[in-house]
Parts: sequence; structure tokens; C-alpha cells
Amino acid sequence: MSEADMAIIKPEMMMKSYIWLETTDGSIQQVEQEIAMYCPMICHEVLQKGLGAGSSKNCAISLPQRVNPAMLSLILDYCRFHQVPGRSNKERKVHDEKFIRMDTKRLCELASAADSLQLKPLVDLSSRALARIIEGKTPEEIREIFHLPDDLTEFIFYQEEKLEPLKNLMDDPRIRLLNRLYAKKRKELKEREKLKGKEVEERVDERSVDDLLSFINGKDHKVVKTSKSKKKNKKRKEHKNKVSHNLHSKQQGVQIVDETASSVGGVSNLPSMEDDIFSLKTDSEDGYVDDGMDPVLKEMLDREVEDFARRLNSSWVLSSGQERQPVHFSINGNGATRRLTAIDD
Amino acid sequence: MTTISYRDEGIKLYSTGTGLINQIVSKENIIAQNMKTRIDDQSKPQTMIQEKYTKRYQNLKVAEALSNNHLYPFACNELSSIIDLGYSQLPKDLKAFIFRDCLSAFRLLPDMNTSAAVSAANLLVKSVESAFPKQKKNLAIVEFKQAKVALKRRTKGHDEHIDLPSLPQDILVHIFSFLDVYSLLSSSQVSRSWNQATSEGSLWRSLFDLHFSHKVSIHIHPGFDWREAFKNEYILYKSSKMLRSGRGYCSYCDSVVWHDNLRCPKKQCRLKSGKKPLDLMLTHQVVNYLLGTTSSSDESDSEDEAVRGLWAYPTLQ
Repeated sequence: MSEADMAIIKPEMMMKSYIWLETTDGSIQQVEQEIAMYCPMICHEVLQKGLGAGSSKNCAISLPQRVNPAMLSLILDYCRFHQVPGRSNKERKVHDEKFIRMDTKRLCELASAADSLQLKPLVDLSSRALARIIEGKTPEEIREIFHLPDDLTEFIFYQEEKLEPLKNLMDDPRIRLLNRLYAKKRKELKEREKLKGKEVEERVDERSVDDLLSFINGKDHKVVKTSKSKKKNKKRKEHKNKVSHNLHSKQQGVQIVDETASSVGGVSNLPSMEDDIFSLKTDSEDGYVDDGMDPVLKEMLDREVEDFARRLNSSWVLSSGQERQPVHFSINGNGATRRLTAIDD
Repeated sequence: MTTISYRDEGIKLYSTGTGLINQIVSKENIIAQNMKTRIDDQSKPQTMIQEKYTKRYQNLKVAEALSNNHLYPFACNELSSIIDLGYSQLPKDLKAFIFRDCLSAFRLLPDMNTSAAVSAANLLVKSVESAFPKQKKNLAIVEFKQAKVALKRRTKGHDEHIDLPSLPQDILVHIFSFLDVYSLLSSSQVSRSWNQATSEGSLWRSLFDLHFSHKVSIHIHPGFDWREAFKNEYILYKSSKMLRSGRGYCSYCDSVVWHDNLRCPKKQCRLKSGKKPLDLMLTHQVVNYLLGTTSSSDESDSEDEAVRGLWAYPTLQ
């Protein structure tokens, strides 16, 4: 109220019009209109809701969730610099490069905030900066920098809890297929484990035999996040004989592991292959190429298997003993799916 | 001299039409050949030669690349190759430059927090150990060991568990649109959300266009998987080999550059070239360019005709 009075009393303030912006935490800021209007989202809000919007504390424009006060002030600094028409391109570039120098966490927040305010130049700027950080790093390094949990392998592990070969009393072809998929999946997980290295292998499987047995017999499916490699080995030994396809795929698995192991870290580890350049080995080069693509192939296979397993599992659980509905799979036209359906025959 | 007339023939046969570099390189070749037969000669023409070699080396911008996080491994590998293939042939001041750059490579190693950087530095040390004279070798190795110690110290203090806000998918896709193939594949293995973002077809489509559109024409149909298509072409063209050097030749600015996702880093060249990518170069080709030699020690030159035209001038017996 007093601000509104002051707005009337002070003629200078009448010249510049202000907009009130509110962030999700409730704090309200007063910003020069021309600066705030630089953000398309704010601009639209003002235009849409009429001139009344944002004109006072009570009807402040509420900003999207991703914009916190710290980011808001950063963005406003950016707008304040750029909305001045008289600046040269070089000046803007220099400012931008200085502006973008901040830690990764703030960069991420800035990118989100700018995106929700639809401030495209800032989105580009922060995205490029983040891309430069990601460039040339291995997945582990990227995870370290961005403090991201490795929920990819964890997710797959969770699925793996249900990767026990199912008893195939009726010799249902679907069960056969599922068991084969589980076997393939386990094999892939093992490869992934080997690629990851010592860290996982050193962990000891602490679950008792009883636990495993009860699990195998189909009791509570708990997500256990201890070492998986030993558990997999145990299971593999038990179910080795059940699926003949297993052996063949394991052999292949070993072969692939050898190739991938020969160039550690696979995807972005270009210089490690330099050793072979002058020794004219084409084998290792091919191995390197496979390595670069194998992760992609693995990802695709992973997802296909997960989908398939999930669907079959859910239908299994829902209708135990009853006639099961045929499960439909979405084929997205890629080679992995084609391969899977071929097994079906 | 008979060599000169033969050289003119060479220019006609092997030049790609444009490119001042052709003429420079072929002229240098005459001088280089002469230099080889008179190694101990300290006469005036030779200092001119040395300057040209040095200038060529500086144009390669290896030193600048070393301070770039992404280019560091590429630069180290190039240094290793240069040392392996021709350290003894280099003029004195160029040797000094190489030595200086090796030292700075080791000094910068702790700042590069990637495993790729470490392996590149290891390779460089191997080359240094085999080719450098005793005194320089010892200095370089000392520098390297200090770097390794510093690196170990750094990796110890990194246990902060900050909670980062998760980035929305479209931002992730936008970020990934700036990445090269290898970084994109790395990103796909980071976490579930990143994995989902990398499967975005538009990303792989633009990569496909960048790498292969000038070589391959494809038929698109509904449900077409760009990533599969890219992978197939990649394997077919053995792209990993060509991409290993990080180098390309830009015909617009007529120089050997560190390519930025297959494009010239200079803006004008990018505008001029439009969609067309650079001619990629193998490391040994870069070394040949620097030393002014031809080398037949490589597996297959046949990949890029345009590049071959530059370097395949006749050797004089």
C-alpha cells in the first residue's frame, strides 16, 4: 500500500513502470517493466491478463515453479544487460562468456529457469555451456559432475529381481521366450558389471541361502541393492541346464566382453586406441567400433526386455491359473525388436 | 634443377583445384627434400625453412587445444604421433616448441579430470621416453610425475553430496543437440532420464545428416529409427577411425583445424559450407603435413580422395 502511494508521490518512479513478480516460495519482487518484458513468458502474461497484471503487489505475476529467487535475479541481470539496444555483438558475447561461468548446479538451474520463462537466448547459452562440460567424458565422470545417481543399472537390477526363469509346466512358448530373454538379460548385466570394473565385484553377496530359495520359490519380491554379480552367478548355475539357448548366448557374451574389455570405457575413450594405430591392427579397431555402438545396442535390448518382461509379469500376476490374454507388443521398427519376435517362432 | 619441373607436374596431377596449401606444400617439399640431403648444413636458407616448419606447427594450434578440456586427448595424441614419426627430422627450434608443449601437457593434466586425458598423457610419456634426448626426457618425466601426484590429490576430495535439480527432458535434448556422437553415447548411459532423452530421433537424425548425408541417400518410412541408421552407416564407413584424430581440413580457410563436430570452428567457414562437413584427416596425415613428407605406413588412405590429393605428391628418389 505504501509503495503504491509512493508511486504516486514520486514522479521519477512514474516514468519507469514496474512489474511485480512472485516466485513459488512466496517472495515478491519489483522489477522494471522493460527488463521483465524481455522474457517472453512474462510478456505474454501481461498481455493476456490485461494491464492490471503485475501492477501491484496483490496481483503479482506468478512465475513458474522452476524459477527460484536466486535464478530470477540472475536472469534479470541477463535481461538488464541485453535489453539495452545499443550494445555491440562483441560486447554481448563478452558479457555472456563471463556470465556463464558458474558451477554446474547453478547452470542446470539457470537452464531450467530460462526455459520456463521461454528466454531462448539464455537457454541456448546455458545449454551450450552444459554441453561443453559433458563433452568427451565417460558416463561415470558425467555422473560425478552432475551428482546423478546411477538409476539406470539400478532399474535394470530391479527388473532382474523378476528375471528368474519360470517353471514351464505346460511348455508354454511364451514362458520359453521369457526364460530366454531373462537369460540374455542376465548375460548382458554380467557384461555391464565387468565393464564397470572392480567396484561391484568386490562386494560380497550377503543374502542367506534361505533368502534366495524363498525368492526363487516366488515369495515377496524385494528390491535388494547389494551385489548382483554373485547372485547372478548362483542363479545361473542353478538354471544353466534349463534353457539350452543359454549356453550359446553365453559364449557370444564372453566374446563380446573380450572385445569390449580390450578398450576400457568404450565410448568416449578415443586415445586409448592410439596404441594400435601404428601397429596396423584392424581387429582392435573393429572391436573399438563395436564398443562404440554396443552400449547403444545394449540400451535398446535392455528396454525391449524390460517392457516385455514387465508386461508378461503383470499379466502373470493378475491372472494366476486363468486363461491369459495375449500380450501385445509395440514394434517400433528397430532391429532389436525384430530379433526378439524372431525367437518367438 | 630437375626436381622443380617434376614438381610442377605434381601440382597439376594432385592438386584439388583450389587451395593455396597445395602450392605451399609442394614448394615446401622441394625444400624439405633438399634439407634431408644436407642435414648438417647451417646455411641461411635453412633458417627460413625452420621458420616455415615452426609456423606450420603454430598454425596447427596444438598448444591451444591442450588447454581445452575436450581437445586435450586429441592434442596429446597428435604430439605423440609427431614425436614418434619424425622427432629426429625436426629443426631445432621446432623441437623446442614440441618440448615446451609436452611440458605444458603434463602441467595441465591435473586440470583435465577425465580418464581419456590420463591415458593420452600416458601415451605421450611413452613417446617422450623413446625419442627425446636424455636431459629433456628427464625434465619431461619429472613434470609428468608431479602431474600424477597432483591428480591423485584432486580425486581424493570429492565427496560432496549435493542434490542437483533434475533437468527437464526438453532441456536435456537441447543440450544433447550440441554434442558429438561419443559424448551422446556416453550421456545415454548416465541415468534413466538421460537415457530417455538420448533416444530422441531428432538428435540422431541431425548426426546422421552431418556425418553421412553427403555420402548416403536413405529412404525414410514411418517408424524409421535414425539411431539404427546412424549405427549402420557408422560401422560401414569405419567412422571411428576417421574421427579418432579430431582433425579436419577446411577448404574454405585452407587450413588444418580441430573440427567442432565435423565443422570448421571458424564461423565464416561454417556459414559458407552450409551442411557440408569437413574433410576428416587421420593423425599421420597431419604429421605428414607438418613434416612435409609422405608416409605409406598407413592402412588405408583411400577413404578421402580430397585429402589424398593434398598429401599424395610424388616422392623424389
